[in-house]
Amino acid sequence: MTTKQNNGQTERSGIQLTASFRDPNGFLFSRGGALYRQVNRKYAREYARLMESGLYAKLVKAGLLIPHEEVNQAPAESETALKVIQPERVPFISYPYEWSFSQLKDAALATLSIQRRALKLDMSLKDASAYNIQFVRGKATLIDTLSFEMYNEGQPWMAYRQFCQHFLAPLALMALKDVRLSQLLRVYIDGVPLDLASELLPWRTRFSFGLATHIHLHAKAQLHYAGEEVKPRRGTMGRQAMIGLIDSLEAAIRKLEWKPGGTEWGNYYDITNYSDAAFEHKKELIGAWTERLKPAMIWDLGGNTGVFSRVAGKSGAHVVSWDIDPTAVEINYRQVKDEKNENLLPLLLDLTNPSPALGWANRERDSFGERGPADITLALAVIHHLAISNNVPLPRLADFFAETGKWLIIEFVPKSDSQVKKLLASREDIFPNYTREGFETAFRKRFKFHEAAEVRESERVMYLMERL
Amino acid sequence: MYFAPLPYLDPGSGSFLIQLLLAALLGLGVAVRASWTKIKGWFGIKPKNDNEDDDDEAK
Repeated sequence: MTTKQNNGQTERSGIQLTASFRDPNGFLFSRGGALYRQVNRKYAREYARLMESGLYAKLVKAGLLIPHEEVNQAPAESETALKVIQPERVPFISYPYEWSFSQLKDAALATLSIQRRALKLDMSLKDASAYNIQFVRGKATLIDTLSFEMYNEGQPWMAYRQFCQHFLAPLALMALKDVRLSQLLRVYIDGVPLDLASELLPWRTRFSFGLATHIHLHAKAQLHYAGEEVKPRRGTMGRQAMIGLIDSLEAAIRKLEWKPGGTEWGNYYDITNYSDAAFEHKKELIGAWTERLKPAMIWDLGGNTGVFSRVAGKSGAHVVSWDIDPTAVEINYRQVKDEKNENLLPLLLDLTNPSPALGWANRERDSFGERGPADITLALAVIHHLAISNNVPLPRLADFFAETGKWLIIEFVPKSDSQVKKLLASREDIFPNYTREGFETAFRKRFKFHEAAEVRESERVMYLMERL
Repeated sequence: MYFAPLPYLDPGSGSFLIQLLLAALLGLGVAVRASWTKIKGWFGIKPKNDNEDDDDEAK
């Protein structure tokens, strides 16, 4: 770790970010476009232990904790400040309700792995919030440097309940009931209530030791002892007991597997209606256009398993590959792990109802739009779903894409295309403007067209446009 | 099912107590496993390397 000198720093103000307001030990603030974390004097002992015990170095080396530098910046609130640190910038902040099953599972395992390493050096995680984990260089990484407290043998794990609510309950529901139940996390910002999880889980889960205890029994105990005051006695939970608890949670998490019904991982998205030549031509165009623009951030909306996201990623950009299908996102993430891809983040998103701003005063979790715009939006084979299945008029689609990115690479899929015919088969064609001309007219109002290319051996057209 | 008024219900107490109970039980398991490993050690059976936390890469 080095100390950066920022001489001549006169700006003293900073915008405190609301996502970290609960922590009395410090908070995040932004100044001059950079992100800093103020560490308060209250946290001096813990911070010193984290840095001096070797825990920080170990965790950073394992990719489990975000690296930071101590910087010579004025604190945002000097009365309480110990120092200011600058954490490495996370390329894109994502939330658990946007993760696939394996992403949430990896975040859970990372949390337990951190707790285990912390215990060895007499520290303990004081929270186990899924929101403290982000994907950095493809790996689940803790981004809250102030999450550690001193561990005194005898004390229980403060974050036990939170771990069960944020990780074990949603993972169990996804694996054993329905993968779409991950969306409960969008409603319950502090994780799935255990009584709800207990009610929704199949009866047979009462025979699995991990789920029977950490969810069902846990929920019963919460209900039974609610309102009763419990005096914590020292020395009630030894180190071995703590390790037993962590082992048991880990075993319960590892046992959970999700396999989408009736589909094979391998050829999930092999079925397309266009030829290899068309496919290769699309790849060529995307490769050439993204290369030319040298973007830092690309959003691939409707990215499926990320085939074209990977082509776009060759430009060196970070790519977020969004899709509505949990299976596609899962396949994409597994592939990211296999190929050790550090610049691609697959996420779950329903474009017709994107992630809203959530939490206290709607300011704790940013909406989909607030986390943009990207340098380039990719919208491949997606416009017919939005215009026809979801009835969004073309001018409104143009408005939407003008907000998601400075540049747009979009594929127009005409009515004569077999996929569009399928969409129209079960509904009245109330889309007289859904033509190439109609599309171009609508999008020219918001974009300057740079390229248009008819995709070989298909009726589709690819465009490169820049917002006005 | 009985629901008490939500604002005054604190799930913390139950979580705390169940954790102590489970941890006591599970800690026992850890102790038994440790002794078992030791006994196996007398017969020359080495434990698998389960020290993943000291690896550079977390699984």
